[in-house]
Amino acid sequence: MKPQLRFSIASIAFALLVLSCAAQEVATQKGPTVRLAPPALTSITQGKSMPVELQFRVENGFHINSNQPSEKYLIPTALTLDPPTDLVVGGTTYPPGKEAAFAFAPDEKLSVYTGDFTVTTNVRAMTSVLPGKYEIRGRLKYQACDNAQCYPPKTLPIQFEVKVVKPTVIKKNPAQSPHEHPPTSQ
Amino acid sequence: MKRDPVIILIVAMMVSLMLVFALNVVRRPPKKTTAIQTKNGEAPDFTLQSLDGKTIKLSDFRGKAVVLNFWATWCEPCKVEMPWFVEFQKQYGSDGLQFLGVAMDDASPKEISGFATDMGVNYPILLGKEAVGDEYGGVQFLPETFYIDRDGKLVDRAFGLRGRGEIETNIKKILGLNPATTKTSQLTQ
Repeated sequence: MKPQLRFSIASIAFALLVLSCAAQEVATQKGPTVRLAPPALTSITQGKSMPVELQFRVENGFHINSNQPSEKYLIPTALTLDPPTDLVVGGTTYPPGKEAAFAFAPDEKLSVYTGDFTVTTNVRAMTSVLPGKYEIRGRLKYQACDNAQCYPPKTLPIQFEVKVVKPTVIKKNPAQSPHEHPPTSQ
Repeated sequence: MKRDPVIILIVAMMVSLMLVFALNVVRRPPKKTTAIQTKNGEAPDFTLQSLDGKTIKLSDFRGKAVVLNFWATWCEPCKVEMPWFVEFQKQYGSDGLQFLGVAMDDASPKEISGFATDMGVNYPILLGKEAVGDEYGGVQFLPETFYIDRDGKLVDRAFGLRGRGEIETNIKKILGLNPATTKTSQLTQ
């Protein structure tokens, strides 16, 4: 057998092995998942606040309660963030839940998130914070169900970065005087 | 001896793959067993506190057919079947049926009690423990219902919400009643 052919066969065998391992890994994952899409880097000016959008995806076939569930016993989806010193988070906005009925209770509508949903939180950089990148960590608590069963509450670790920048200084052209000069009489 | 570079490459790739796989296995938390640890087909015995402070053992109900239901206040499908359980308890209680609800909940006993009262539950609610759940296969989702006959043998199990008819069939099975027999009752279909 030619070395090139052997190399090709070996490469295919290796790829198949990797794929089978990956498939096994996926197959052993139990229960529903909610994932966070990698958040875009948000720049925040010292002393200002900026909204940060966190985009989540609920695994197909599952739903999680919205932040305002329709019943008091249901566990709301809630984001908790632990910002570093000199960064303040607040004003978290959750999307309204979709009113949906499920096979287990067709006459009852629940307020849920399915598919993609976005939670927005405001991050404020104090004037004292030094410019640079800062990591904000936190967690999303959710409780998922499918059409026939519910899974215990889960916590998804959250991690994203923000970039604190200095305020932009608008330089004034010294040649242009801000003061209006009355026309000189000739 | 001349070594074939392709063979060396294959061996290196296999070794690295096995290393990655082994690391992954080591890193992964131990999985809860999904097999129920039964002795001679008997339902695992347990001792739990009920909402009214009593200590209840499963084996205390030997001689009765037991429907053991794991549930939680946050579980909507559990809420759907609870009124059926209440009615079946009324209907078949005199035949020796006993429902037991095990709340696998982080809610306080007061909240669980409030929920059970709202649902009109007429059977004991026990405060669940993870160890008991593990004995019954891990209880990875809710509801999970186990049907235990008068001799304490585990006859059937149901994962997730099942139809009312299927629940009644299982009840008749553990009571030793003819599945074809219909017991006229005040049940609303």
